[in-house]
Amino acid sequence: MIEIQNASFRYANSDSGVLDEITLHIKGGECVLLCGKSGCGKTTFTRLINGLIPHYYEGEMSGNVTVSGLDVTKTELYETARLVGSVFQNPRSQFFCVDTTSEIAFGCENLGLPVSEVESRIQKSANELDMVELLGRNIFKLSGGEKQKVACASVSAVQPEVFVLDEPTSNLDIDAIEDLKRTLLLWKSQGKTIIIAEHRLYWLKEICDRVIYMDKGKISFDISMCDFTAFSDEKIRSLGLRTLCSDHLRIAAKIPVAETMELQNYHFSYQQKDALCIDSLALPVGGVIAVIGHNGAGKSTFSRCLCGLEKKFKGKVSFDGVQYTRKTMLKKCYMVMQDVNHQLFCESVEDEVCLGMDEDNEKDVSGILSGLGLAELSERHPMSLSGGQKQRVAIASAILAGKEILIFDEPTSGLDFEHMEQTARLLSSFAGRKTLFVITHDPELIVRCCTHILHLEEGTVLEQYPLTNENKARFTGFFKV
Amino acid sequence: MRGSFLQVSTEHRGLVFDPRTKLLLLITMSTFVLGGIAGEKLSFLLPCFCVLPFVLLLTARKYKTAALYFILYTGSYLLNLLATPHLTGFPAFLVLGCAGILTRFMPSMMLAVYVVSSMTVSEFTAAMQRLHLSEKIIIPMSVMFRFFPTVADEFSSINAAMKMRGIAFGGKNAGKMLEYRLIPLMTCTVKIGDELSAAALTRGLGGTVKRTNVCKIGFHAQDVIAILFCAGCFGFLILDVAGVL
Repeated sequence: MIEIQNASFRYANSDSGVLDEITLHIKGGECVLLCGKSGCGKTTFTRLINGLIPHYYEGEMSGNVTVSGLDVTKTELYETARLVGSVFQNPRSQFFCVDTTSEIAFGCENLGLPVSEVESRIQKSANELDMVELLGRNIFKLSGGEKQKVACASVSAVQPEVFVLDEPTSNLDIDAIEDLKRTLLLWKSQGKTIIIAEHRLYWLKEICDRVIYMDKGKISFDISMCDFTAFSDEKIRSLGLRTLCSDHLRIAAKIPVAETMELQNYHFSYQQKDALCIDSLALPVGGVIAVIGHNGAGKSTFSRCLCGLEKKFKGKVSFDGVQYTRKTMLKKCYMVMQDVNHQLFCESVEDEVCLGMDEDNEKDVSGILSGLGLAELSERHPMSLSGGQKQRVAIASAILAGKEILIFDEPTSGLDFEHMEQTARLLSSFAGRKTLFVITHDPELIVRCCTHILHLEEGTVLEQYPLTNENKARFTGFFKV
Repeated sequence: MRGSFLQVSTEHRGLVFDPRTKLLLLITMSTFVLGGIAGEKLSFLLPCFCVLPFVLLLTARKYKTAALYFILYTGSYLLNLLATPHLTGFPAFLVLGCAGILTRFMPSMMLAVYVVSSMTVSEFTAAMQRLHLSEKIIIPMSVMFRFFPTVADEFSSINAAMKMRGIAFGGKNAGKMLEYRLIPLMTCTVKIGDELSAAALTRGLGGTVKRTNVCKIGFHAQDVIAILFCAGCFGFLILDVAGVL
């Protein structure tokens, strides 16, 4: 089905993501998992198959790539599109239309299929993927999981032979991953060939037949899933991969926390729809609190209210005998957003961290920068940094601004093991000094750094407990790992 | 609710016009109200034009926007009418300027809001194809439509980030508000644009086959009325220019 011979590629103006002499044969109907550390060339590899390399991304390319007899390197992209369908990482940037039905129709329309055929294909893929209720909706108002479903349906409607998925779960919760798993099993049962590049591995155990591990642009091993699952936990870790199974989750020792802060009257609604409904809630000061729950449980509303970003929000927070209103919370809290690009404004890292700084902190600038490993980067433009470095710049600016509560929105989405561990270490280092809220779907991150779990569902607190070995079952039960 | 008024909700679309009719209305409106091409003899048309966006916004259930338009327009109209005779010098100039700009720009702008907020991207592409425009024009324009809600989304995230950093009007960094907003906005939109193009290409956009479009558009009674209205206006204009009236 897919034949790759001595394929090498190097992006123009960049040293990362190179491929080095890849030779590979993938049979029809196979389901292949591509894994490896960040920057090992997984994404580049997927682009080789869907033809984005060399047609869209420029660089030096050599070797041959054929999909079902078609030479992808020489075929125009719109021809390749009939054979290869792609699902990408970021649901917000893979939609061409604003409403779901036209989006599913889009690929078929491009093929010039007759209208009646397009309509029947829309119905067929919507039925197969169990998403009929999502037809005719505004894409911008869907959750991440629903968006990824629409993306799958729109690729499915074109009925390609090969599906290429590039980190499809980085924005998904557990249920959405289950949905995606069902979709993949359906495609597999239809005899399609699936290539999936992914960091989270546990959900792919029953789907993929073959595992290809890449390192620095080369294939380091290519084995069956059976052999791969037999790998020991230590081996998986030494390869820089995420865990395959929950038994390996070990809860790290935590600092005990005594003081609490009290949240009162946390009620909020969007256009008559209740999004948050908490009368009072006591939370540990200085804890690292994991905020978990399904998509739409009110996690982001909760964090926006806590930060004081919602103007109509009336709730209060009291600790140390002082009551804080929305406006004062805005001064005390800082949220590190999932897309950290939204919060970097200045021309150099130093300007960035000094913007909005407390004057008393002036002396600490260099200390905090070097503490976060940013000292050598202080003259660089924040936008030229890597994702993890940007995250640390945002944290440094929050600390210098004297913020006491830091909120992290999905800090490890799409990170490999090594980077996830780095983030975990960074978050643990604040335990006891700042109060941290971590909104996440990543159980591995939680066991490494969090002290408490706050489980929200339907806008209310389902349960709240300190994360200890006794409570482990409650926590792993939610993550179904 | 976060987001923008430019997002199309398929549930409340109001009086359904063909996209081509909407564009014709927009052109007529800009020619007569914004362009001010109507002379003395055609001034009887102006009230019709000014009421039109109000009615259309109401049918699309955009009550807030409609009310805002009504208040601003009548306000500036009355101000113009009542205050100018009593004012001289700089205040007169100021009032006349503001009220004049508002009365001239508001109707066309509000109609544009109605058009953009009630038209889906696929309706727009379908209409453009029926008008036999080249794909080279249609595709960039439809991407532009797709981009408004994205930019609005990004913008609201950036605003939230700025609030948390204490950058606001009246703060010590007020002078740099624009710069602080534009830098992240540009970085994010460029990245999204890049990913969006890649995604569209892998789905076969830009092929040599003629694209089909599943979106059903067509002229109905309301379209005929609107088109006759526009044609009438231009008819009057021609008669006026020819000196018949």
